[in-house]
Amino acid sequence: MGPPPIVTGLSPNEGPPGTRIKIRGEHLGKSPQDLIGLTICGVDCLLAAEWKSENKIIAISGPIKGKGDVIVTTKSGGLGSCNVTFKGYHIATIGPMKESAVWVDETDLYSWGRHSLSPSSYQQEDPLGLSVEDSEKKVPEEDLLNYFPNKSGDITSSNFSPRWFLLENHQTTSFNDLQAGLVHLRRKVQGQKEGQLSFLKANISAVMDQIDTLVNLRESYETDLPKFGHEPTLKLEKAIKESEHKARKLFDEVLSRKDRAEKTRNALNVLSRFRFLFCLPCVIDRNVKKGDYDIVINDYIRVKNLFYKTDVPIFKMALNEVEKRIIDLQKKLHEDLQTMPITVEQQKRLIRYLVNLEAPFECAWDAIKARSDYINKKFKLIHNYHKSLDKPDPKAKNGSASKYSKYNKTSNVDITIVPSSVNFTEEICLSITETFPDLWKIGQAYFSGELQVKVEPGRQVEFKYIVMNVIEVFCKCIRASLIPTTLDKTDRNQIGTLTLPERDEIAVYLPELLQSVRSTYASFIKLDLPNEALDIISLLLLDLRIHCMSIMFQQTTEQVKQLTENWRVNYNGKYTGVTELPIQFLNLIENMIDVVKESVLCIEQREVSLLDNQTAYKEMEKQLNNILTAFYNVLNNLSSSEDYDECQNGVPVVSQLIGTPVSSHKTGSKSDIPIWEHRLLISLSNCLFTKETVLKMIANKFQESGFPPLHGSLNHAKANLEHLEKSILDKYLEQKSDPLVGTIEPSMYLGRFDWHLTVPPSDIRPYIKECINNLICVHSEIIHISPSLLNAVLPQVVETVAEEIYRLMSCVQKFSREGAVQARADISALQDILESYSTEKARKYFQEALDVIPPLDRTDSIIVEDILRQCKARMKIQILCLRKKN
Amino acid sequence: MSKRPAVQPALHKVIMVGSGGVGKSALTLQFMYDEFVEDYEPTKADSYRKKILLDGEEVQIDILDTAGQEDYAAIRDNYFRSGEGFLCIFSITEDESFQATQEFREQILRVKNDDNIPFLLVGNKSDLDEKRKVTFQEAQDRANKWGVPYVETSAKTRENVDKVFYDLMREIRARKKDENKTSNGRGKDKNKKKKLKCVIL
Repeated sequence: MGPPPIVTGLSPNEGPPGTRIKIRGEHLGKSPQDLIGLTICGVDCLLAAEWKSENKIIAISGPIKGKGDVIVTTKSGGLGSCNVTFKGYHIATIGPMKESAVWVDETDLYSWGRHSLSPSSYQQEDPLGLSVEDSEKKVPEEDLLNYFPNKSGDITSSNFSPRWFLLENHQTTSFNDLQAGLVHLRRKVQGQKEGQLSFLKANISAVMDQIDTLVNLRESYETDLPKFGHEPTLKLEKAIKESEHKARKLFDEVLSRKDRAEKTRNALNVLSRFRFLFCLPCVIDRNVKKGDYDIVINDYIRVKNLFYKTDVPIFKMALNEVEKRIIDLQKKLHEDLQTMPITVEQQKRLIRYLVNLEAPFECAWDAIKARSDYINKKFKLIHNYHKSLDKPDPKAKNGSASKYSKYNKTSNVDITIVPSSVNFTEEICLSITETFPDLWKIGQAYFSGELQVKVEPGRQVEFKYIVMNVIEVFCKCIRASLIPTTLDKTDRNQIGTLTLPERDEIAVYLPELLQSVRSTYASFIKLDLPNEALDIISLLLLDLRIHCMSIMFQQTTEQVKQLTENWRVNYNGKYTGVTELPIQFLNLIENMIDVVKESVLCIEQREVSLLDNQTAYKEMEKQLNNILTAFYNVLNNLSSSEDYDECQNGVPVVSQLIGTPVSSHKTGSKSDIPIWEHRLLISLSNCLFTKETVLKMIANKFQESGFPPLHGSLNHAKANLEHLEKSILDKYLEQKSDPLVGTIEPSMYLGRFDWHLTVPPSDIRPYIKECINNLICVHSEIIHISPSLLNAVLPQVVETVAEEIYRLMSCVQKFSREGAVQARADISALQDILESYSTEKARKYFQEALDVIPPLDRTDSIIVEDILRQCKARMKIQILCLRKKN
Repeated sequence: MSKRPAVQPALHKVIMVGSGGVGKSALTLQFMYDEFVEDYEPTKADSYRKKILLDGEEVQIDILDTAGQEDYAAIRDNYFRSGEGFLCIFSITEDESFQATQEFREQILRVKNDDNIPFLLVGNKSDLDEKRKVTFQEAQDRANKWGVPYVETSAKTRENVDKVFYDLMREIRARKKDENKTSNGRGKDKNKKKKLKCVIL
């Protein structure tokens, strides 16, 4: 069975019944006998069909209405199909006064023939005698045909249907009119039944005319009879035959010439086809060179249709030649298809070419494979490239970096040299973002049938494997370069890690890298990848985020460790009495939080909040503890580096004992670093400030930035700081009170004084004054650093002083009368002046000291009061110093 | 996956216009059937349709070959409405036919109400150069004025016959793509995406 016939052209594509139609197409039968069926719009037209060639039939349309196909059936090809439609229509009867947009052939209506004899019978009057209104809303003829199949509204027709007639002509006529019409019709019928006589009567003039005509006819026949004989038609017949013969002779010549012309044309057509075949190899070569593959394919299909089944050897040879070219072309296209880089569109086009050329390759699948191979190769290439950059100087660079980074600050890291693992990650992200979508697209095109290729079973699974593999390798590469610890050992060996850069080095790049992995991820999400594939990357992202956060915290810890104290106290600004240190600490943490928030915490497409993850939260808590502990250590170190200070000063503390002013210490030190006691005070103040203010601010900052509550670490830090505070205070007190208290006894017995000597008292003794002056000194020192510390420190000192006085008094073996007066005056003065800073305990000690002194009589008491009054007047300024301001 | 969606090739509707006797039918028949018809027989309205490869993509071309003699503009309006691209043909041996193209162009623009409708000005009978009445420059100038390409063809020698049809179809295709993108591209895309997802999972 050959190919089925197909109709591709109609000339014309519409017309009334009887239209001569040229039907064109392919495989319309090999001979007139091969054509066994032809329907136009469902109406059989085979009888009137004239087979011209395999591509052309001429037919006459039958009684068609509406649009329909033209179907050709051949013995060799069976039932055919049709691309185009024919539209049949009936020409409406158009009167001479009616407008029309087209020219209507009226020869049928007013032509020769029987109808012309009685035009009235054709253009009938209405049988009901009613005026035929030219109503606009006529029932459409199609509907009428549907209502009354095989009927007609034509009154002369054998299958006349009165209902049709009424619907067609009297749709709007009233019932009364119709009744009147019926009466009219009856009368007319009655009239016809009345008999021939009345008919003759009615047509008397016509009958007379007819009789006259018959008489004339007879007369002229009789006159002609002698002229022409009894058989006049014989002569006529002879003449007709002769003319027919002559006409035939005339036309035969024309017809034969036409036939010959047609034959020549056919021959020429055949020749041009052969020429097409023999030229084709050259044409193909030329077009391939030009890249016009479309034309090559069209030509190839044409030549295959025309010559595929040929048995002629020379055609076969030519065809072989063509096939050879085509196979070469297929190979070339197939190679092009697998040569990367290439766009998806190009690949799709090449695949279409190959499919149209019926190439034996599984081209779409090959394209997919080529793409995935290309991606993998590119991964390797990038990896090797960076590996080669990485290798030569890992020792030199790393060695120096680690050596210095320990002591020098992070700024030492050479920013201009970007670590190769960073470059590698950047580049691999870029590469996969560029290449992967194409792989996915071509895969989708393959499976959705867009490539017009048959999908082999099992490809689905294989393609999925390829996609997953690519993504997996991508993730592993990144892991290997940034967080190798999250990889199995086998994977690590397989992929090969790059030298991991120093933490400080990588910290600068991590947020950026995170961003590029994220953007890759976003572009993957856009591709609508299956969740399985996306999850691989989302896991990587999570790990990367945790790692990034951890690195940030670690870096901050390191920076906190590097913090140094400049000992410059702030007196103005927001935070007074403290140095830069806590502020710097705060800034470090705040900066870190900002960076972490921007880079790690923010949630992008398909990501979960990082700190909901348990591991992440724990890691962060741990790192935060590290930071806080680091700062605690810094403060602790600063407050305990005593020896450092002593060797700087070189002045022994004992020198204080003969009332040397404390400030004299300062002259000895050349550097800006304040003396040990000051530093203790500063540290104490910083400690307090950190505990009270900085920790709160940090907590606030964390909360603002969306971190979960971190009470554990902060409270722990607070406790630590409190502990530190206490130890510093102790140290300071020890430092201050010891020399102060130590000076009291030697000064008391200075100049061989003793309480049993009878030296009349005139003033309080110098040791009291010295003690007060020393206390004022401490006071000023504290005020100088931070007035808020005054209440915490000074009363403690006063207490020790009181205790010492009590101890000294209780050790006195014997008081002379003058000695008792003196002692009471001394201690009362001290008690009065130090009142504002005395604790309960100090007051008790003073009282007890006074109780040890033997009681005085009235005159002595007056002397004591006198002395006190005088001394208070003299020491007005000192007293003012130690008075608490309310 | 076994049932591949049967993709019906895109259909591009081309209409041949021009005065009578310039060779509209000859061009059409040469393109469709590789034959050159010598005898002249005025066309009323002919339809042709076949599948071809356009840049590797299978498409259907539908050609409506119209009557050049037609004096009734109303009927042409109906034809033109269905057209997606037009080949406006004149004979380079007949100046009158060249002048008539102006009228055709105006009518098409009026009916389609679109200045950028795919349209090619075609000078036919280029094999009869010795009888040339319309110069190449003259025609090219008119085409430039309209912003359309001008091509000279010969239905007899098949010169540029494929080119004019293919060029026109490329324009039609490009235009359809544009329209798809601007109008209902979004919604369609979504559907397609959904389908694709099912395919893989």
